[in-house]
Amino acid sequence: MAEDVDFERLVACYYEPLYQFAFSLARDESDACDLTQQTFCIWAAKGHQLRDPSKVKTWLFTTLHREFLGSRRRQTRFPHVELEQAAAELPVVAPATVNRLDARQALDALGRLDEIYQAPVALFYLQDCSYNEIAEILDVPLGTVKSRLTRGLGRLHQLLTGAPTGAPLQPPNL
Amino acid sequence: MNHDEARTILLLYRPGTTDAADPEIAAALALAKQDPELTRWLVEHCARQEAFRAGFRHITAPAGLKEQIISEQAAQEKTVSWQPRAILTVAAAVAAVVLALAVLAPLWLPYRAADDAYARLRDQMASIALRPYGMDLVTDNSAQVRAYLAQKNAPADYVLPTPLGKTAVSGCAIEYWRGAKVSMICFRTGKPLPPGEQSDLWLFVIDRASVKNAPPAGERRYVQVNRLMTVAWTEGDKLYLLGTKGDEQTLRQYL
Repeated sequence: MAEDVDFERLVACYYEPLYQFAFSLARDESDACDLTQQTFCIWAAKGHQLRDPSKVKTWLFTTLHREFLGSRRRQTRFPHVELEQAAAELPVVAPATVNRLDARQALDALGRLDEIYQAPVALFYLQDCSYNEIAEILDVPLGTVKSRLTRGLGRLHQLLTGAPTGAPLQPPNL
Repeated sequence: MNHDEARTILLLYRPGTTDAADPEIAAALALAKQDPELTRWLVEHCARQEAFRAGFRHITAPAGLKEQIISEQAAQEKTVSWQPRAILTVAAAVAAVVLALAVLAPLWLPYRAADDAYARLRDQMASIALRPYGMDLVTDNSAQVRAYLAQKNAPADYVLPTPLGKTAVSGCAIEYWRGAKVSMICFRTGKPLPPGEQSDLWLFVIDRASVKNAPPAGERRYVQVNRLMTVAWTEGDKLYLLGTKGDEQTLRQYL
């Protein structure tokens, strides 16, 4: 039972990756801290309902993502920006520069992606989550995850390098 | 699978992870080994992937976040766990008090009610003595005092302790306690009096029947009421309350 999981150990294991995920979504330190803390708070209240301890990581990321979506519904702080508009605003990062990519550049590029790609891409790069885990966390079919990742990564590469990577730039198949 | 399809699939490939176990990616990787151009692209792609991963992983949580999460949760648990315990404690205390009242009330309530009545009489008379008052009769003749009180149907057949009987009177007044007359006899101890005052020792007499909880015969009950030391006793059908600004020993010399 998940209720046997030691809370402090759980926090020690997951607070950093959860914060990274939260920050990649919210792009605000305060919001990211709140999301991370809220996730553990929900775990403390409901975590005992989780039957399979091996699903703890997925449960935490799912919860954080839901909290983020909930907070976004409550506050429309992040206006939607079309990729084509964003691409025009972005400074092109040369391929050589990509090798020295820092967090700010990575997050800037992530933030320029359509919202629907941001979470899977963040989980893909930040946590090395498997496609199945990403599908569970985002509660979408595996095929949809791969589709969104393909398009999201393609656009991310395009934004950062200024060159197409072979990924089709078509409207997402939702 | 052609060249372009393989590139699209390999876009999801992360070196060093379990991605290579995915059948589609495994097939694309196999194709890349046979395609020099695709191999070159894959090397660059893997370098970009590592750079992206490293870039994202530069995000670090603020110092103290872990401790904050743990401490706030501990505080929350303390609050949550305290609440039921506190409710139980309060409920147990209330139950105990109710039980105690239920058991003791038959014994305690009549005594308290009576005791309150006596205390009220004592406190009321003491306040009369301490505040400026007007005597109905000003005289140093104790017989005149007794006669006046009798004339007014106030307790007059009182019996004074010998020392008090030898103390000079200064007058008397009639007060009321729940409709019953109270004789107030004023004395002078002989000590210097403050300006404007004519007495420094007062005796209140009331029918014992008017105060059901009068001290039992033979008992002298000393109580300090503000600046006034009082002693109460019963004798015959009267309750006596003597007071002065002093201590118990001061009063004893008049009894």
